[in-house]
Amino acid sequence: MKLLQFMMRRKRLITVAIFGLVLLCPLHSYAYAGPGAGFAVLSSFWTLFVAFLYSVYAFFAWPFRQLFRLLRRRKAYGKAQMKRAVILGFDGMDPELADRFMNEGRLPNLAKLRDTGTFRKLRTTFPAISPVAWSTFMTGVNPGKHNIYDFLARDLNHYLPYLSSAEIKGPKRNVKLGKYTIPLGGAIVKGMRRGIPFWHWLGEAGIFSSIIRVPVTFPPEKFSGVLLSGMCVPDLKGSQGTFCFCTTRKSDDKFREGGVRVPMERNGKGYRSYIPGPDHPLGTGEELRVHYEVHTNGKPNQAELVVDSEKFTLKVGEYSEWIPVKFKAGVGFGAHGICRFYLKELSPEVEVYVTPVNIDPGQPDLPISHPVTYSIYLSKLFGPYATLGLAEDTWALNEKVLDDDAFLSQCYQNHDDRERMLFDALEKTQQGLCACVFDTTDRVQHMFWRYLEEDHPAARDVPRDKRPAVIPELYTKMDALIGRVMQQIDEQTLLMVVSDHGFKSFARCVNLNAWLHQNGYLALKDGKTESGDWFEDVDWSKTRAYTMGLNGLYLNIKGREREGIVDPGAAAALKEELRSKLDGLLDPASGRVGITGVFDCDAVYAGPYVDNAPDLIVGYGDGYRASWDSVMGKVTAQIFEDNLKAWSGDHCIDPRLVPGVLFCNRKIAEEKPAIVDVAPTILKMFGLALPGHFDGKPWTVAAT
Amino acid sequence: MGWFSFNMPAVVVTVISVVIGFVMVFVFAWTSDQKAIGVAKEHLKAHLLALRLFQDQIPVVMRAYGRIVLSTGRYLKLAFKPLLFVIIPLTLLAVQVDRYLGSTPVTRGEPFLVKARIRNPDALNSASLQLPDGLSVTAPAVHVPANNEVVWRLAADKDGKYEVKVQAGDQTFSKELVVASGMPRLSSIRLRDRFWERIFVSGEPALPSNSAIDSIEVQYPARDIAFAGFGWNWIWLFFVLSLAAGFLFKSIFGIEI
Repeated sequence: MKLLQFMMRRKRLITVAIFGLVLLCPLHSYAYAGPGAGFAVLSSFWTLFVAFLYSVYAFFAWPFRQLFRLLRRRKAYGKAQMKRAVILGFDGMDPELADRFMNEGRLPNLAKLRDTGTFRKLRTTFPAISPVAWSTFMTGVNPGKHNIYDFLARDLNHYLPYLSSAEIKGPKRNVKLGKYTIPLGGAIVKGMRRGIPFWHWLGEAGIFSSIIRVPVTFPPEKFSGVLLSGMCVPDLKGSQGTFCFCTTRKSDDKFREGGVRVPMERNGKGYRSYIPGPDHPLGTGEELRVHYEVHTNGKPNQAELVVDSEKFTLKVGEYSEWIPVKFKAGVGFGAHGICRFYLKELSPEVEVYVTPVNIDPGQPDLPISHPVTYSIYLSKLFGPYATLGLAEDTWALNEKVLDDDAFLSQCYQNHDDRERMLFDALEKTQQGLCACVFDTTDRVQHMFWRYLEEDHPAARDVPRDKRPAVIPELYTKMDALIGRVMQQIDEQTLLMVVSDHGFKSFARCVNLNAWLHQNGYLALKDGKTESGDWFEDVDWSKTRAYTMGLNGLYLNIKGREREGIVDPGAAAALKEELRSKLDGLLDPASGRVGITGVFDCDAVYAGPYVDNAPDLIVGYGDGYRASWDSVMGKVTAQIFEDNLKAWSGDHCIDPRLVPGVLFCNRKIAEEKPAIVDVAPTILKMFGLALPGHFDGKPWTVAAT
Repeated sequence: MGWFSFNMPAVVVTVISVVIGFVMVFVFAWTSDQKAIGVAKEHLKAHLLALRLFQDQIPVVMRAYGRIVLSTGRYLKLAFKPLLFVIIPLTLLAVQVDRYLGSTPVTRGEPFLVKARIRNPDALNSASLQLPDGLSVTAPAVHVPANNEVVWRLAADKDGKYEVKVQAGDQTFSKELVVASGMPRLSSIRLRDRFWERIFVSGEPALPSNSAIDSIEVQYPARDIAFAGFGWNWIWLFFVLSLAAGFLFKSIFGIEI
């Protein structure tokens, strides 16, 4: 007994003693203790050996690389006014709110930047939409030169929308084999954004850049640095985010968009359902699926999730970790994705929300980073992370599949991943450019603006004292992040905090198609008083103007649109007529102005892609935005209606009302800076010549 | 002889390797922190990728190399925990297998050596060998005073299990000797004291503590196992085959090693 007690007390000592004895006593040949140890020792040795060789190579090759650069006249930093630029992009950070919270003492770090450096409103683009504004940010040109005018562009033949930033097509060649179409090659991803991001010019000069999640960088382009693509990266289905809601509750309801309802069926003691995936790559027309099961495990509010024979624990009200899913389509064909499961309810019914299936960053089926290994590197360092462009599932909250807490939790989990990536990039980029865009600010403001207002239609059923202070907390969180970044940088580093636009309330919807219909510009087929999605019941032969997307208004021009009727010579007059009627449009219910400006694109844009622009940009007033129906090409009876969705704040309004923010740790002389000026300013501060096609003008920035 | 030569020792080693590979992979899975090993390996790979991604930045490359060394240490530490569980049984198993596969027995007509180490140098010259029928001395005994050793060269007329006796002073001790073909169990040395050494190299009872003889050794030839066109020591063949089997099973069962 005493011996046992002694052994228990000295467990570690005895373990080490036995281990040492066994290792030291036997002949050397007996020291091999099975394949586990063999693998460990062999792979470790190999790793160290390869790493050593590579670091020696890097060390000795470095002077030759520098010499090579000099020979190519790429003398980096020769005239630079700084060693490093750090740009934090907070999508949608609003200058008025920032000012208010700074004055309330909530944002000490931003206040410090304001007091010792610069705080300005940053003029945004027409329209004030993220893909447009961030494209201008990175290229230094107006949309007429980068070709992005909205999330969506229109197909002139069919009056249907398509994603404006990237096109994903099947391989060029296929072989038909019975009912199968065998692709010869991978998918073709074509970027639609034009213009050259300013980090390309930095790379040409030998200045390294780390670019993380800047919107409209999919597909990634080659340059000297690393880049992880952001907004516009699709999910595995090829959409901009399709969640899956699996439920035992019977319902024929369909989600308006952004998600699918999938039945969950009892299977023995558990439940069985599936995640819809991409179309079968062999062209059978079938949808690939990954099946999964949920088993109750006897513990309250807990269940076991079985996916592809792997088991995970699910708790009611909590997200699972990122779970890899493989959509198999036969030998050699398949798609790798990751998703999170959220167990909404376990009793009496079972309901599981599954995030859109993100491209697996550890084995990406589409390029989501430059080089391809960068997304793999981040995945190995930090674990799987959201790769979808719009990773925060606003549709699921809009459709009430997720509640406020679940949505917020999802946002901040993604945000935390992004923070880890930023700090790694900061460490890796001691010289050069480090730019990272955080979407959390945009998504959270979109979805929680209703609690910021006294009387938002979407929050009328929530008592005032029960409304959470989500947005003030969001700004505080972002401020804390800035504080941590400021601790990482020295005086030779330029720090900029920029947002692409600000935010305003979205309390009232404007169906511009309804207005066009009621005012004789848009005609419906005989007998129809309304039209379904995407102009289902529109009579194009009598329609002169229409709208789809968030701010664009289009004329139905003869020779341009397939069924155009407006003579190109009459277009200018028609635009002026529409401008005069729409500008100052009053909301009869409130007496407020629903549209504060209508802008002729010929006057706003210049460049080779102006022909792809809308004809007019509609600037909605504070509190107004294009209605959900109008965005989708639907014509309703009502022009104005309340917005009852959780998506209660917006920025797709008159761009003059929603400037972004510019904070900087150095003094900037310009009183009215614009987002188009960021690229030329950074190039100038690195001592580089500015390309002639830039529309932006560099700011005068103090030396320190 | 083709590239693969079929023989019993090779079959035995192969079977043992596959079984051990299978068992050890599962023991590894059950006794290790699979998640932590997975993370450690992923970190290692990440730092390796960092070398490539940030190759123009020497401080980053050097830091990445430092992290590779640290991560390797962390990985080895995690991999050694299961080693504690398997090292004792596996070592004992290896010792036993070595009795059968480490050496070949003496064959008829082939000369071999028997070596006795005497404890007391004064008794070296009086040491003598007593042989049973079937064994004969083929050369005079060689005395090596520097090592306190006497060496006899013998030959066997017929197969069998023999006992050779060595006399030193007034004490006589025997040592087992096997003349055969195939894979009999062999013990090449009989030792006095030295408990741990006896565990690993001797398969016979210890010589008494007061024995005038330190050890009696029969020098069996080392066994070469023909496999894939090469001659292998069994432990190397076991090493290679069990690694291959382990790799196969770990991949099939999705176990992190």
